[in-house]
This record gives sequence, C-alpha cells and structure tokens, in this order.
Amino acid sequence: MQEEVAELRHKLARAAQLLLFKHHMHPGAKRWELRRALGRNYEQVLRALDQELSKLGLKVKKVEGGDADSDLFVVTFKEHPPLNEFRTFGWRIDDMAMLTAVLAHLVVKGGKAPAKEVMQILEEKFPKWRVQAGIDRFIRRGYLSEDDKGVLYIGWRTRAEIDQQTLVGLLLGKPGEKG
Amino acid sequence: MRRSERRELLERVIELAEAVRSKGLDPFDVRVREFFQKLRELLPMLRSYEELFLDAQAVLGLSDVIQHQEEWVKHRSSVLYLDPLLIMLKVQALDSQELAEIFLRVWKPVVEVEVLSPGGLREALDYWTELSPLSERAKELEGGGKGVSAIGERELERWGVLEREEFEKLLEKTRRELERTCGKEGKVSYWEFVKGPSYEQTVKRAWMVSFLVSYGYADLELDPLEEEITIRIRGERGQPEEVKSLPIAITKEWWRGRYAGRSGRAAA
Repeated sequence: MQEEVAELRHKLARAAQLLLFKHHMHPGAKRWELRRALGRNYEQVLRALDQELSKLGLKVKKVEGGDADSDLFVVTFKEHPPLNEFRTFGWRIDDMAMLTAVLAHLVVKGGKAPAKEVMQILEEKFPKWRVQAGIDRFIRRGYLSEDDKGVLYIGWRTRAEIDQQTLVGLLLGKPGEKG
Repeated sequence: MRRSERRELLERVIELAEAVRSKGLDPFDVRVREFFQKLRELLPMLRSYEELFLDAQAVLGLSDVIQHQEEWVKHRSSVLYLDPLLIMLKVQALDSQELAEIFLRVWKPVVEVEVLSPGGLREALDYWTELSPLSERAKELEGGGKGVSAIGERELERWGVLEREEFEKLLEKTRRELERTCGKEGKVSYWEFVKGPSYEQTVKRAWMVSFLVSYGYADLELDPLEEEITIRIRGERGQPEEVKSLPIAITKEWWRGRYAGRSGRAAA
C-alpha cells in the first residue's frame, strides 16, 4: 500500500513537471508523452493532479490536436484573472485589444483569414508598426499561427486559454457607446 | 482546342483553387461542376507529361474547393456563425480599454515555469569552466580596438569557418549527404549526423545543418522526454512548419565526452 502511494506521489510530481515546465518553446505535454512517462493509467494521474491543482486555483486543460495522441495537456487558471491585475501578466492594453479584435475576426471567419485582411482591419484602429509587431508576437506566443501562404489561424494557446464563443458573445453584447 | 488554350484553362483552375485556399475567396464562387466537365473533355487531348501534371493539379485544386465548401456550410450552420461585417463594426466602435476588458473576461492563462534542466546546467557549467579569464581572452583578440570591419574570406579560411569551397557548394554537399544518410526512412539522429572526426568538424557540420533547416530542406524534431533530436529530410524544399529558434550548444568538453571518449580518440 505504502509503495503504491509512493509511486502515485512520484507520478504526480512527474506529471506536474511535464505539464508546468516549458520544454524548449512550449509548456504542457502531449498525450503520447504523458502515456510514455506515466504509464497506462496516466489519465488517473492527471485527474489526481487536477484535484491537487484545484486547491491552488489552477486546473488541467486538454487542447485537442489533430488526433488523440497529439492532444496537448496544459495547466491553466481555473478562473479569469481579476481585471485590475492584468499588468502583472506583462500585457499592454493595446495588445489585449488587438488580440481580441483578431480572434473575433478569425472566429467568425471559421478559424482562419488572410494575414493581409486581418492587418487591414487592425490598421484602422491601431498604428501600422504596432499591428505588425503585435501579430508577430501573437504568432510567437502561439495565440495565432501562420502558414506559408500568409493565412492566419487560431493557435494552440488561444484554444487553451480563451473561450472563443464567449468572446464573440461579449463583443456583440457591448453597446460601443461611451457614457 | 489549341495547346496554349488547354494550358491556360488548367492554370486558371489551379489559380482559382489557390485563391480559395489562401485569399479567402468564397468557394461557392467557383463553378466546380462546370470546371470538372471541361477537364473531362480536355483529358483525351492531353499529350505531354506536363499537361497531365497540370490536369492532376487542377483536379486536386477543385477537390480542395469542395472541401472548403463543406467547411463553409458547416461553419454557417454552427452556432458560432456571425456576419464578419457586424463583428468588424463592433470592434471599430469599441475603444482599446473595452476590448481589453472583454479579453480579460474570457482569458484563463496557461501556467508555465521556466526551468534549467540538469543538461542545461551541465552545459552552463562546462562553458563557465572552459571560459578563460577576460584578461587572457583580450590578448587573443589581435588588433582589437581598431574599429569594426567586415571579416574577409581569407580570414574566415584561416579560422576554418569558410574553406575554399564556396558556401553554396558545401551546403549542397551536406544536403546530399543528409539525403543519403536518411535513406528510405527519411530521418537520422541529429547527433549521429553532425558527428565529425574532430571538434571543429562537428561544429561545422552542425552549422551546415542549421542552414539546411533554416532554408527548409530539413526539419528538426525534438523528443523532450528523451532529449533526443532527429533530422527529418524534406522531399522538396519548403517553409519550416513552425518558425522557432533552437540553440544547440556543442562545447569541446561535451564533444570529448560524447564522441572522442566513446571511441577512445583524443580530441583534435
């Protein structure tokens, strides 16, 4: 019994390392990596880890990949960060606004749109140099991806962090009038 | 139909399909059935391999358009469908603060921790151990402080960075060697491939591989658990799937441990 507990603790620690530590560019681990590192009962280990993380206001989230094996598992906040704390995450208001606009456009266009079209829309609202730098940054961080034909797609990080349907809903619900 | 007309039609279909894929052209603007009919009539007239190749590309393009039509119908019938114009007007009407507030209400950031792995720590230690004092390094910098200028080809030759062979030729040679080594499997262990008879040769081979990857001739695949790197050759030159930078340190000490030590050879 003690051995089992010790093994589970070891696997929990390993799972936490795999999900939280950045490997090269990305945090998280693919399903096949978890299966290989934690064994066949990796899903049970993840559930146990989720319960532990829940006490810290975090949760394990699955981001669907092309096939089951490439599903990505990451740890995210359980709730949205408070509005007054966004600065602690190192974001500029303009960047957040820009990403909201890009994602809304991509969501209603079925998840992809030509980069030129997206930039034209943004340049009506933000300085050109900031738009280019912003798009590059969003691609680097995984919020967007771009293919060799210059088409922008919703990236893995957006799928992990952002509730896209609610984003569009909130956008439509906003009157856009300054009181 | 003349040869030039046949070619023009095939190219038009290919371009249209490409416009749907990359420029967001409405897939229903393409008259797929009509084009397929024309291609069917055209097929018996096609003589050269080039024409047949274009025909195959055109058929592939049209099937791609049908796939886009399917996606379009699925998307329009989904709960997420909204008129893009409406969204654009909303975005224009809101100021940055309001847009940022929306973002924060739908955002649950990923938690990630930057760590130094034991391997990375070892590399850092090796680097630090091998690094000679600044005073010694300053002596090695001949002519330092005389200003900045371009390094000549001869100087690069002297350093062993660039040999008499032109860079392009060397790159092509490495590419061919990689192709041969990868064989049918199409892949090879990075460390096996870059292994050279001396430390300098190993670094040089790693340097050439970095260009092959940057230029889209090959991809690097990482296995974070095993810390193994694999080179996968590409059938034809293309854009790297995901542009990212991967620093790979090869110190002399590490080289000795991995290659020379294993084979009992002394470091060059």
